[in-house]
Amino acid sequence: MIKTSELDPNFKYEIANEPGGENIKRCFNCTGCTVGCPVTDIDKGYNPRKIIRKALLGMRNEVLTDDSLWLCASCYLCYERCPQDVKITEVMGAIRAIAQREAKAGKIKLNNPKQLFDNLFIDSVKKNGKWYEAGVSGMFMLRTKGIGGVIGYAPMGMELFKKGKLSILPHRIKGKDQIKRIFEEVEK
Amino acid sequence: MKLAYYPGCTLHGTAREYDASTKAVSKAAGIELTEIEDWNCCGALEAIFDKELSMGLSARNNMLAQKTGLDLVVPCSICSHNLSRADKAMKTDEAFRAKIEKALGESYNGVKIKHLLDVMVNDVGTEALAKKFVKPLKGIKAVPYYGCLLVRPSEVSRFDNPENPTSLDNLIKATGAECLPFTQKTKCCGGNLLMSKQDYAFILTKKLFDEAKTAGANCIVVACPMCHMLLDGQQSMVEKAHNTVIGLPILYFTQLIGLAMGLSEKELELDKNMVSPKTLIESIGKQEEKKIETKIETKIENKAEPKAEEEVAE
Repeated sequence: MIKTSELDPNFKYEIANEPGGENIKRCFNCTGCTVGCPVTDIDKGYNPRKIIRKALLGMRNEVLTDDSLWLCASCYLCYERCPQDVKITEVMGAIRAIAQREAKAGKIKLNNPKQLFDNLFIDSVKKNGKWYEAGVSGMFMLRTKGIGGVIGYAPMGMELFKKGKLSILPHRIKGKDQIKRIFEEVEK
Repeated sequence: MKLAYYPGCTLHGTAREYDASTKAVSKAAGIELTEIEDWNCCGALEAIFDKELSMGLSARNNMLAQKTGLDLVVPCSICSHNLSRADKAMKTDEAFRAKIEKALGESYNGVKIKHLLDVMVNDVGTEALAKKFVKPLKGIKAVPYYGCLLVRPSEVSRFDNPENPTSLDNLIKATGAECLPFTQKTKCCGGNLLMSKQDYAFILTKKLFDEAKTAGANCIVVACPMCHMLLDGQQSMVEKAHNTVIGLPILYFTQLIGLAMGLSEKELELDKNMVSPKTLIESIGKQEEKKIETKIETKIENKAEPKAEEEVAE
């Protein structure tokens, strides 16, 4: 049951104001995004059309806390096929950005490990200019699966190391100041 | 042909064989690559949903490429998408351009960014490449796997059909290998689900393996390090999760054409793939010999059969 009194009519504008979310209001609910979606194919509970519809109706809290927000595989099939050029993959990104901010402010709780991985990854790029695979993967394993997870990953890590595919230390670029300024500008 | 080269993080790590084979094949094809100096991460799939950050990080690389005065070639489909998307935004979105030019202290005029497959099939040309193929890859039965970002969205990647691309198919055929029909060619490998829901990622990857095997393939050819990471790097994990044996070598298209060019396995770093392509490579050109052997064996078996029946009758 949808209670109209609990809807947030401004939510669609909030999304449209995020980079990538601009075209959300163009959606006319044709389901083209969902019929071809590879994730819907294996989980009928994942329904991009529903996420967009709920967002347009203003079901803010329900959309932001829905775990399925983190199941978009960014394969861009819906983006390619959408007759209204909603740019659904990027709309998902816009909604994720709002969810991340709300979570950082302590207003909602996000349970999907993907946002932790993305944050660790982005932090390592902010610091080094390149992503630090061994550090990010190790920290992610430790925080999601504990020391057992790190040990479990060790054989794969060793194999990669032996093939010269994994570096123990991070690679740092010279232009780190430019990276820092890019972060400052886009976070404004 | 001279091109600026952006390898991206994976080609200096888990996809080092793609970097090595890209360099080897480019050299053989007459392309001089100049790696852009002090490049940074494009934000990969981890920032792809954070559009401005992804484009900002990518724009710095485009700015560096601009200094070389050359077109830029990118072997990774994700990097290629991110850099192209940033280039487009820098040309059309004034507010974004102002932010990035301020952060970098330089102005941007635009760079032509191309995926390596696009350069090989369109700029060098499949026919011109075929003239350099000295070793027919008879016995290789490949399915071409394009994945997502190589051909989608067509708004950013325009070099092939987004629903039914054929450039990689044609390149495989030109090597003398067999290219089998593959309806999964542009389906998702599940790469970006690896951290959010690993079991879903592996279901998607398994689908690719299943169809490749049904088609009769003895390898999958890819043009993206993320696809390769799932299909090759995670293949043993998929086998474990689905309690099955896959054992399918996954070749970068550069490794495949490198073999046809007669380049050594060492140059193409074929020993760095997680699923060893050793048996596959040894089988090249041996298919006909095998056929003859099988015929002889069948004849012997046929002769032996009646005798066995007689024994039973006795």
